[in-house]
Amino acid sequence: ILSIPELFLLYRFTNYMRDKLRKWREENYRNSEQIVDVGEELINEHASKLGDDIWIIYEQVMIAALDCSRDDLAWSCLQELKRQFPDSHRVKRLAGMRLEALERYEDANKLYDSILQDDPTNTAARKRKISILRAQGKSSEAIRELNEYLEQFVGDQEAWHELSELYINEHDYAKAAFCLEELMMTNPHNHLYCEQYAEVKYTQGGLENLELARKYFAQALKLNNRNMRALFGLYMSASHIAASPKVSAKVKKDNVKYAAWATSQISRAYQMAGRGKKENKCSVKAVEEMLESMQITMS
Amino acid sequence: MAGPELLLDSSIRLWVVLPIVFITFFVGILRHYVTQLIHNDKKVDLQQVSDSQVLLRSRILRENGKYLPKQSFAMRKHYFNNPDTGFFKKVKRKVIPKNPMTDPSTLTDMMKGNLTNVLPMILIGGWINWAFSGFVTTKVPFPLTLRFKPMLQRGIELISLDASWVSSASWYFLNVFGLRSMYTLILGQDNAADQSRIMQDQMTGAAMAMPPDPNKAFKSEWEALEIVEHKWALENVEEELMCQDLNFRGLFI
Repeated sequence: ILSIPELFLLYRFTNYMRDKLRKWREENYRNSEQIVDVGEELINEHASKLGDDIWIIYEQVMIAALDCSRDDLAWSCLQELKRQFPDSHRVKRLAGMRLEALERYEDANKLYDSILQDDPTNTAARKRKISILRAQGKSSEAIRELNEYLEQFVGDQEAWHELSELYINEHDYAKAAFCLEELMMTNPHNHLYCEQYAEVKYTQGGLENLELARKYFAQALKLNNRNMRALFGLYMSASHIAASPKVSAKVKKDNVKYAAWATSQISRAYQMAGRGKKENKCSVKAVEEMLESMQITMS
Repeated sequence: MAGPELLLDSSIRLWVVLPIVFITFFVGILRHYVTQLIHNDKKVDLQQVSDSQVLLRSRILRENGKYLPKQSFAMRKHYFNNPDTGFFKKVKRKVIPKNPMTDPSTLTDMMKGNLTNVLPMILIGGWINWAFSGFVTTKVPFPLTLRFKPMLQRGIELISLDASWVSSASWYFLNVFGLRSMYTLILGQDNAADQSRIMQDQMTGAAMAMPPDPNKAFKSEWEALEIVEHKWALENVEEELMCQDLNFRGLFI
């Protein structure tokens, strides 16, 4: 029996944990160990205070448990969900995910197929099937299935991103760039997509692609001043263009200017990073030396 | 028209005002659960979903195409609008004009909607009008014009009575709409007892689902895309970026 202040604290704690879980859920965090810790305690100790939220927490904790190989926890969550929602496709998908975690891919596939037979528009089951192909290492089949899926569901951004990753792994950079373009189009203010696109263009190489890479690195920086990767990317692409023998003098001059600006910003960042710390002087010097060695001298 | 203030019998408050509130409230909650019971999921047509996403993509291309390189934009515009092989030119969907009278699924939906919402409202409104008639129930706090009198003062035949004094039927209707936020508090968002939301849904429903004629939608989208020019947003991005130092605030903890 808890006293009033203890009850109050318990209530506050439950609410706080519940809000944390909701934040992780809505922003798609994958901190599975944390979710398992918090979620397990909430479910075991404070189930009654959660009300109807408990079902979505079961789902969240189950997926996190699969990530952490906690099959016991995943199984108990699944049982509770099955008991409450016996005919649900959503729960069936979770059962399929558990089979995937146990590497019983055939059984998982059968389950997903049964969902699709019942409801051909169920995108979750189709995406799980593609994940199975990826887990089995069948990249080309996964790519093919994903392309077919995207033909029907052109708006699925998660799928476009997955496809871009698959293409990058296969070194098909042109197609990866196409996928990233779709993402940039739908999320013009997301600096990470700009940066990834620029990196793909940089990898493709060639003067035109380097120019595009430089532009999109700059755009990523414009959207988020703190993207260090984009800053280095800007420096690299500008330096490479400046060093290329095929460019005009004006282009060379411009790119040297861009590279110099990037260098100054990088030094500034490193100096700010370790204000007053003695070791930092070494790292600042190291960065300067690195940049100098990379600097392709003008002839 | 601030006439002399009427003093109402306090038993009106006890036996009329409060019961009507409770009746409305509980009928609303009942409606919510009944709707949940007889509600069946709408089966979505794969083709419609796919088409609506394609139209959305085309619209996004028009709006945000300027963030893509010129060639990528041209490639996509070509995919949609090419006179021979473009999507909007090539794809023709078979259109079955959906007559709301004969189409069975919409008919049952309409019937269910009427049954759960309109019917109880009429029944209970009528019963209240019959049971609690002949006296003034309450006064609305703002002055009303005379034109509201016949509407709000059913059963009270007094010519000189201020229009602000209303009968129990109008108190009932006030409750139906007023208790909306109470339902949200108790039943959570998205509850079926929320009448005004249902009426709102009927108006916006057309915008969400595919318009009945996808071909027309394709044609208008084609026209809209034709006239869009590509003006690259990244033309001067380096100059814009480098006019000032980068702001690293928050990068280092």
